[in-house]
Order: sequence, then C-alpha cells, then structure tokens
Amino acid sequence: MENARTHFLLCAGAGCVASGSLEVGAAMQDPLRKHGLTGEVRIIETGCLGPCAVGPVAVVYPDGVFYQNLKPEDAAVIVEEHFLKGRVVERLVHRAPATAQGVARLQDISFFREQEKIVLRNCGIIDPLRIDEYIARDGYQALAKVLTGMTPEQVIDVVEKSGLRGRGGAGFPTGRKWRVTRQSKGDVKYVICNGDEGDPGAFMDRSVLEGDPHSIIEAMAIAAYAIGSSQGYVYVRAEYPLAVERLGKALDQARQYGLIGKNIMGTGFDFDLEIRMGSGAFVCGEETALMTSIEGNRGEPRPRPPFPAQKGLWGKPSLLNNVETYANIPAIIMKGAEWYASFGTEKSKGTKVFALAGTVNNTGLVEVPIGSSLGRIIYEVGGGIPGGKKFKAAQMGGPSGGCIPKEHLNVPVDYESLTDLGAIMGSGGLIVMDEDTCMVDMARYFLDFIQDESCGKCPPCRVGTKRMLEIVNRICEGNGQEGDVEKLIDLGNKIKDTALCGLGQTGPNPVLSTIRHFRDEYNAHIREKHCPAGVCESLVRAPCQNACPAGVDVPGYVALISEGRYAEALKLHRNRNPFASVCARVCFHPCESKCRRSTVDESVSIRGLKRFMVEQEVTVQLPEIRESERNARHKVAIIGAGPAGLSCAYFLARLGYRPKVFEAESQPGGMLRWGIPAYRLPRDVITREVRMIEHLGVDIETGMKLGRDFTLKSLKADGYKAVFVGVGTPRGLDLGIPGEKVEGVSDAMRFLHDHNLNGSVSVGKEVVVIGGGNAAVDAARTALRLGAGAVTILYRRTRAEMPAYEEEIEEAEREGLRIRTLVAPVEILSSNGHVVGVKCCRMKLGDYDRSGRRRPERCEDSDFVVNADQVIAAIGQALDGKEICDGISLKFAGNVLHMNPVTGQTSVEWVFAGGDAATGPATVTSAIGGGEKAAVGIHEFLEGEGEAFWRKEQTIDTFFDPEADPVQYPRAKAQMIPVAKRRSNFLEVETPWRQNVAQREAKRCLRCDYRDER
Amino acid sequence: MAPEKLGCACEEVSEQELLARLDEVIQEYREKPGALIPVLQIAQGIFGYLPESALKRISRGLNKSYSEVAGVVGFYSFFSTVPRGKHLIRTCLGTACYVRGGKRVLDSIKRDLGIDVGETTPDKMFSLEVARCFGACGLAPTITIDNEVHQRVKPLKVHELLDEYRNQGAVAEKGA
Amino acid sequence: MEKKIKSVKDLNALRDQAKSDIELRTGEKDMRIVVHMGTCGIAAGARDILTQVIEELRLAGVESVTVRLSGCMGLCDQEPMFTLTDASGTEFCYARLDRSKVHEIVTRHMLENQPLVEYMVSSQSSKEA
Repeated sequence: MENARTHFLLCAGAGCVASGSLEVGAAMQDPLRKHGLTGEVRIIETGCLGPCAVGPVAVVYPDGVFYQNLKPEDAAVIVEEHFLKGRVVERLVHRAPATAQGVARLQDISFFREQEKIVLRNCGIIDPLRIDEYIARDGYQALAKVLTGMTPEQVIDVVEKSGLRGRGGAGFPTGRKWRVTRQSKGDVKYVICNGDEGDPGAFMDRSVLEGDPHSIIEAMAIAAYAIGSSQGYVYVRAEYPLAVERLGKALDQARQYGLIGKNIMGTGFDFDLEIRMGSGAFVCGEETALMTSIEGNRGEPRPRPPFPAQKGLWGKPSLLNNVETYANIPAIIMKGAEWYASFGTEKSKGTKVFALAGTVNNTGLVEVPIGSSLGRIIYEVGGGIPGGKKFKAAQMGGPSGGCIPKEHLNVPVDYESLTDLGAIMGSGGLIVMDEDTCMVDMARYFLDFIQDESCGKCPPCRVGTKRMLEIVNRICEGNGQEGDVEKLIDLGNKIKDTALCGLGQTGPNPVLSTIRHFRDEYNAHIREKHCPAGVCESLVRAPCQNACPAGVDVPGYVALISEGRYAEALKLHRNRNPFASVCARVCFHPCESKCRRSTVDESVSIRGLKRFMVEQEVTVQLPEIRESERNARHKVAIIGAGPAGLSCAYFLARLGYRPKVFEAESQPGGMLRWGIPAYRLPRDVITREVRMIEHLGVDIETGMKLGRDFTLKSLKADGYKAVFVGVGTPRGLDLGIPGEKVEGVSDAMRFLHDHNLNGSVSVGKEVVVIGGGNAAVDAARTALRLGAGAVTILYRRTRAEMPAYEEEIEEAEREGLRIRTLVAPVEILSSNGHVVGVKCCRMKLGDYDRSGRRRPERCEDSDFVVNADQVIAAIGQALDGKEICDGISLKFAGNVLHMNPVTGQTSVEWVFAGGDAATGPATVTSAIGGGEKAAVGIHEFLEGEGEAFWRKEQTIDTFFDPEADPVQYPRAKAQMIPVAKRRSNFLEVETPWRQNVAQREAKRCLRCDYRDER
Repeated sequence: MAPEKLGCACEEVSEQELLARLDEVIQEYREKPGALIPVLQIAQGIFGYLPESALKRISRGLNKSYSEVAGVVGFYSFFSTVPRGKHLIRTCLGTACYVRGGKRVLDSIKRDLGIDVGETTPDKMFSLEVARCFGACGLAPTITIDNEVHQRVKPLKVHELLDEYRNQGAVAEKGA
Repeated sequence: MEKKIKSVKDLNALRDQAKSDIELRTGEKDMRIVVHMGTCGIAAGARDILTQVIEELRLAGVESVTVRLSGCMGLCDQEPMFTLTDASGTEFCYARLDRSKVHEIVTRHMLENQPLVEYMVSSQSSKEA
C-alpha cells in the first residue's frame, strides 16, 4: 500500500449515510483518477464524526479541515482545489465553536510544526529501556566516530565551532569549557552531568533522562574522551525517581554491551559512570555546591575561582555541563558544527528546550531555534491563553530570572535579549501568567523560595533577602508604605553585588524585574490597598468583590438572594453602587471572570442574579444617609450627569452634602441615556435610579454646558469649594482617511446621540460600521433596528481581538450583523457629495505590538470596495480638553485628565475627576467606582476626613455550611427574546429569570468571603 | 545506588534487624568516595526516617563525626529525623503549580488534615510537606502521595482524594 | 553477554539488526502502539492505559501489534497519550485517553480500520474539555 499523503475521512455514520455521504465518496473517485491523485489521497470511511446535523461531514487529514453539508458535486471541487492546489474550500468548512475539532498529524499540528527537535530527537519515539532502539537510531555512532577517527582536540574544535552554549542558564560557551578542562593539569579528571534541575517550572532535563537516557551516557563518554577523563557522575535530583530509575537501567545495559567500562569498542578508552541522587536542596544546582554534595557534604557553594575546570570534584579538574547541553553533543558530532550553527542567532546557536507551563493551552516541552520570538512560542506553539483570559507576563529563568510583560512579546528569545529585559534564559522554564496572577505576590513567592533555599553561608543572601521578603510581605498584607519600592530596589542591588554564589546574586532578580515592568501594581497595593489580580488574601475579601470597580459586596447580596431576602440584597448593593438596575443590564461583570466557581464548573451568573433582584423592587428605597448641616453648607459642583457624576453626587449626598449637578444635555444620564441603546437599557430604568439620587437632595440642572454656559473659574467665583469633572469622552474620532468629509459619514457617538436623545437619525440601506469596540456594536445593532438593509462591521484585526464584549457580538450576529475582520478602510468613495462605498484593503497579522496583540499589517495589492450608503466610524473617543481648562492649568495624562487614582484629585486641588474623562473610555461600573472615590476624596479635602461609612465591611447573617459540598446545579443561562421579535424594535432583549431559577443559581456561590473564625 | 524503597518501614521488623541491614549497606559503601549521602538515602529507605541510632551507626561505620553527619542530614530537606505518617503528601509549590493555585490546594489539605506543613496527623496516617517542582508542570497543580503523582488537583476534591488513601488503610487492616 | 560490543563493526552490525527488527515490526500487517510514559504521562494514568491496551488486544485476539513504551512527547497537557502507527506507516496520536476511549480505539481503529478523529491530538486544544 502506498503511503498516502492525505486522508479523507468521510463520515459513514448512520446519519451521514442517510444524507448521502457514500455518494460523495463515490463521486470523488473520478476526479482523483483524473488528476492522478489516487495513490496520494486515501478515502477512509469512518464512524460517526459527531455533527450529524450538518452531514455529510468529512475531515481532511492531516490538514484538520472539517467539511460539512457535502454533496456529490462538491467532490470534484475539493479534489481540484484542496487536494491539488492546497486551497481549503471555505464555503464547505465546518467551524465548530471552540471544540477540539481540528485534527492533524503530529508534524502538522502547530505545536509540533513550529519545533526543531535536536535535544528531544528521541524523546517519545524510542523505548528508553531498550538500548537497541537507541542504537537503531544511530545511537553510540557519535562515540564510535570520536573514538576511532578524531583526536580530543578535534572533538573540542567541533563543539566550539558549533557555538553551543551551556543550557543550564549562564550560557557559557561549551567548547571553551571543554578546552580549559582539557588543558588543566591533573592525572585524574571528572566529567559531571548536572541533572539537579531545581528551577521550579523547568523539566526538560527530567524528560531527556526519562525518555532518552543513552544520549546523556554517550555524550558524557565523548566529553570524557575529549578532556581526558575516565570517570563521570550524574547528579539527579531526588524529586525525579523515574529519571533515576531509567538512567540506572540504561547504564546497566550500556555496561553490559561494553559501551561504557574498560576498553570501549576495542579502542582502549575506559569510562565509567555513577549516579548520585540529590536530597532536596535547590542550591545544589549551583556547580560548586553540587560537587560538594557529591563529595558527601552539606551542599554549600564555594567561591570561584578556582573554577571547577581547575579545581573541581575532590580538587581535580572537572567538566560540568547540564543534561540539555550534553544531549546536543551526539547530534553535533554526527551532523557537524556547521549544521548545528545553522540554527539560532548570531550569538546564540542551536535550539533551546522550553518547559511551557502555567496558564497556556499547550503545556509541555517545546524545542525551538534560539531567537524565536516569545509571542511565537506562547501563541503558535503554546496555543495561547486558555479561558479567554489575557496574557500578562512570562516568567523565565525561575528564581534567578525575571518576567517579560506583554509589551515585549516580540523579543527574540536568546541569552542577550532576555538579559536586556531583566530576565534570563535560565534553564528554560517558561511560565505563562495571565491576568489572574499578582506580580507582587509572584515576587513574594520567589523571595520566599530564595529564603527557603538559601544555604545561609553569606549574610547578603541570608539576611538581605529576608529583609526584602519582610517588605514584600507587608505590601501584600496591605501595610505597604511609600518608599517601600525604592527600598526593595536598593536592597536588591546590594545583594546582587555582594552575595557569594549565583543563587544569592540572582535572587533579587524576580523582585527587580516585577518592579521594572509592573510598578503600577506595587503602587495599587501600597496606595489603594488593592490587589488588582485578586490574589493577596489580606486585601481580597472575595475575588468577585475585589474585581468590582465599585466594590459591591457580591457574595453578600448573592447569599441574601438565595434566602429570598431581596430588599436587603438590593440595599446591600446600593450601599456601594446606586445603579443596581442599570448595572443589572449593562455591567460586563468583571466579577464573573474571577469567580472561583469556574474551577468547579462555570462561574456564578452574578449579573443574571442582579437582574432578578432588581425586578423585585416595587418602590425605590433610599439608602442610609448621615445628615450633616456642616457638610450641607459646602458648595460642591458636579459637571456631567453621567454614571460618574451621579455616583459622586449620590455618595456626597449620603454624607450630608447637597451637591449641584450641571448637565449639558436636556436630560440626565449621560452615556447611559444617549450612548447605550434602549434594547439593552430601557429608558425608564435610568429615570428611576436618577430620580432616587435626586430624592437624596441632589439638584440636577440640565442644558448647562461647561465652556458654553459656565466655566471652572465661574464656578469658583460662585463660591463652589470643590468641583467634580465627569464629562466623559463624548467626541468620536475621525477615521483620518481621504474622502471622509462627505454626506453619509458620521461617527458612532454622534449617531447614537442623535437617535437616543433627538429621536431621529437617518439610516442607510447598506451601512458599514468601522471598528471593533462596544460603540461599534451598539451603533450596528441600532442601525439594524432602524431598518438598515444590511449592516457590516469592518475590523482590522481578528474576531478574537475585538474589544467589544463577546456576548454582545454574538447577539448582534444573531440579529443579522455581518462582521468582516482583517479589513481596514483606506478611502471613502463618494458620488455627488454622498458616500457610495469604502475602499478597503486586507490585513494580515504581523509582529506583536505593545498591547500584546499582533499588529495588523496591510497586504499588498489587496484593495477592494465595500458598497455603502452610510459609514459610521467607531474607532475611538476623546475628550475636548480645551472646554474644560479655560485658563486653569489642569494636567493631562495622554488624552485624559491626570488624577490621583485613590482620591480622584487632579493637579488643581479643588478639582476632582472620574469616569471616562479621567480613565479613557471604560465601563459604567468603573465610572461609578470613580465617582465614589472622588466623593470620598472631596469629603477628605473639605473636612479632612477620608473615611466613608459605607466602606466598612458589613456582616450579614446568612446561613453557610463550609463543610457541605457545593451544589451541583449548572450555571443558569440568560433568557433572550427571539430574534424575530426584537430585530426591528427597541424592546429589551433580555428577560429576567423566575424565582426558582434565581435562588438555585444563587446557591451555586462558594462563599469565598467566608472566614473560619476558629 | 538508588534506595530501593522509600515507603515506611513495617513495624514488625525489629530495630535490630534494620540496623543489621544498615550495617551491610555501610560495609558495601565504606570504601567509596562520597558515600555518606547515598548511605543516608538508603538508611531512610530502610527506617522510613533517620533515627538517632542509625545516624550513630553511620557515623561510626563511615568514620565521620556525629556532628558532621547530623549537619548533612539537617541541610537536605529530604532527610527526616522524626517518624513520618503512613503516607507522605508533598504539595508542589513550584512556580507553575503556584500560578495554577497550588497554594489553595495546600490550604485545602491543611484544613482537611488539621495539620500544618511538616506535621503528621495524630493517627499517623499522613505527613505533609511542601516541595518545589516534580517536573510535571504541564499538569499543575500537582501533589505526590508517597511516590505517586496526582495531577490537576482541585482544592474542592482534596477530601475525596485523601479518602482513597484512608480507605486503603482500612481495607488493608481488615485484611490483616 | 553475547551482545558485547567489541568494535565499531559490532556496533554497526547491531544497529542494522535493530533497524530491520523495527522495520519488520512496522511491516505490511503490523501496527505499533507507543505509550508515552514520562512522569507527566504516568501521573495522568499512562500505566493503566498501557495495561489496558495489552489486555484489550489479548481479548480481541490480536497478535500483530507491538506495544512499546516511550518517553514524553512534550504535550503534557494532553496526557495520557499514545501514538498508533498503522500498516501504511501513518501515525495517529491519540490523547487524553481513558478506558472507554482505549476500548473504542482498539475495536474501531485497530480492528475495523476506522480512525477516531475526535480522540486525536487536536491542534486547537481546549482546556479541561
């Protein structure tokens, strides 16, 4: 039977046969013959492949392309296009939603395709317990070649020319090490293999010892011959019992075959090898400590020089390399130095094995040419980050290394580039960390590690790292002080300069590198007492609450819902966030993405519960207010009646203030009213909660625009003691391409504003929306409802990178929205002053940019035209700085107001800011949180008191049994009204649950807020 | 070379017999350079831990001062001078396991057993230790119980997992 | 002790012998299963998979299959796994195996020559599938 190049796995399950799969197979025979592909393509009828509903289906193997709804007439097309020309027939492709549907032969899976296996050449292929299999794959041929045809100098020349550098971490040229050891004077010399792979997260040495032990034995024999030694030691850590066992068996076999021992292969060369097992001391991975340990002592390092090459084990010249370094040697000897040097970069040759671990889809060992970009390793080989989370940083080099943030995904992974970024190649541990990792906690982890493993011999390492750990500990516990970060940097640099061995000298690296790349996170811990990732226990009551920008007591109100105490639940919610009903509709629930229930099955549907909760409110209840005549006398102005301004007013009012709100539009609500469409947020919901705030004594004056009707200066003159600026970012950005100043082109902000506030906006027949954010989707769905014939979104990156929320995109697609990705507009085409189309070009993804996403690049000669009679740009929003300042020198941070994130205070002491105007376009909830912070900031500014009564944690007497197993109900789904009933109107899309559903869902909460009071 | 057995010693065998076995090992290794650590490893395999009597025997047999032997024992975390429980649990706190929630697994084990790291349960069933990386990072978080690696351990499933070992004991006792 | 290699010639002879042995094993009629048994694989249950494969083959009365163990493939995430090489030399890598999958692979793929696409290593791996 020929070796078929392609397999066409045609489903012959009952369903597919019924829909005609066998006919498809039959129809394929003729075209295959016609093109002479009969031998190359093999048709295999398989059992049911699964998606019977779209049958007949088939999989092309190894390409992994899944075809659906096949008809006999498609057969010829597939043969001609796919088999002959290698083009996938797109219209027939079945796209399974994110299931493991793609199939491929090993070498065609990107995980393997992107790799170059030299060190791992035999791992997973041969049986490590059978020496014959190693020999069959040319094992021990390199040793034979060396012993019979090369002088020791020639061997060293080859190793040196290959450019191989030590893979244990420091990257010292291997050939030079060999030469120095050879030149050292001494009757007895040793070769040693460092298999004490202590860096947590690195396991390539383990894998080689377990999967290909003979390659190490052979390489050590070659090294022994080259330096003039006859005895070797392999030091393997105690945590690797299987590696010890397999290496031991391999040694026995090699000895039996006479491949080690006396007079190897009749050449007169003697060499034997012994295994030494570690006993759980990290420092023994350091070369001098390792040798002390083999000698039978406490594994303490000793100063260098003398280097092991001069005075090593038992005072004799010794050659020490690590497992991975040795594993390269036989291949280099057999295939030559030039071959090896053809991989890698100018200064770093060959390949490097990385142990991919942490939050990455394909964890495991990967071997790539040195110099491959980090992004490529993580995304192409590693398959990216699971669970839709964001990549945050990669930790490389373990406790001696550092982290590389998303801004540097393009870095070529080689010794020098990594060092420049404050990380190191190390032994190749590459731990991928997503947004749920706290970098301060990570620094603490490594300091703890170093403290634990410090042998205690030198004070900088023993005492210095302890001091650093104390500081980091207090930062994590919420007791950090200004200046702590500087102290850490100072201490770290001192330890680097003065510690005795490599462990101590590199110990501060993880701290210094996290400070370098994530200083903001340290500041959040120290100043805001907030751990953004939700990790540091003392700062995090429950991960959901920690993730909520408004700090709502999520587990509290969820527990109250589960007990049917809806009014109390709502009151608890409004204690931190007045807009419960609004948020129940529009919040993108950062709480749910941190919910620990997702480690069991799926997160609790917190927003769904909130939606149910607010439906139970009959008359609006006012929150707790502390009347204060004193506070009421301070005049406070709030500019902008959006979520930020109204929240600020709400909380000030609860402290007894009587703030005055100025709103430019004719109705209060800001973006809630004119930016968010009614099908997501009914207007009466906004009105209701705004009215509640007015009931607290907040006066809202509409039609008052900053810069037109009043200025900051005039407010000051009118006696206002403090002003909050919450004007948002209402101006949509222009496309910046030729031809856009014609009729029919507008931006999403203006479009939504005109519809929602003025009640009229003209809509075309063919509408094109440009951009991939929430504003784009809102505009597109609004246009659909207003009767547009077709609405298409053009986005320059891929679907996965669209900033709009996935659930919104999905609903929009159900309603008929078309999304074209990897397309960018180049020019607006018009006729008689009115738009008629958009000239576009295709984009492809290039290198990684500083946002950690692959940069879209224009494909040459790919221009095409999309017809349109209306174009809506939704590519960003901005703030009009001029109208705010009016002679007052407010500092800006980029396009937004600069402010203190804890208090909202701007560079002018009586002016505070929050919401989009201070953060750039963000979510409703973060605007609410910003308003609350500024309210407290204003109170502190006016009264010198920074405390707010609502921030005190409340104990809620709900029942919870910590011993009980979590309830087993699956996550309840949101209910939507059918597309047909909503596509052409502005009815609210989502409907609330019934009580039984809600209470069951609420019981799924794991109550992370629960503290054992033992 | 490698200790043949790492599990705990059966109590039926008298200490004298164990010491005699140790003597054989010392005899075999005494001439080898750097014999102390391998002998200690094997001794721990024989006794389940390193009792003082064994350390004294090793110190005499290898002609090393007792303080030197004790110093080496104290340096390496794998050596234990107190008896361990029937099952030794090692929770990995290597980086990958840590990032994937190893600490919460450890907390959950601590809660379940009511002991802290380095302690043994009153019924002598479990001892708890922390380790740095078994090299099974792809399956993080991991723990080992005796020499078996358990992968992707979930804090909420710890109790179930430990029960398997508890019941194993019960079955064995019934059988005996 | 007969196999003592006393010269390079001996080594080459042994290599050629071993090569042809392996080729014989992957000949026209034969299939080969290599179970990946590194620490990761074993932790994920590769030992049970190996035993079960042998048992299933015995029960099915299949003798023309060689079962071997090997080291880690590097894809720890998808362990336990084995690579099945069929009579044509095509390699199929099955991943995330369990008892029922092994049974199905033996009966459907090995006996009826119907590769089970859904159990093979996937290029877009989905976590905790």
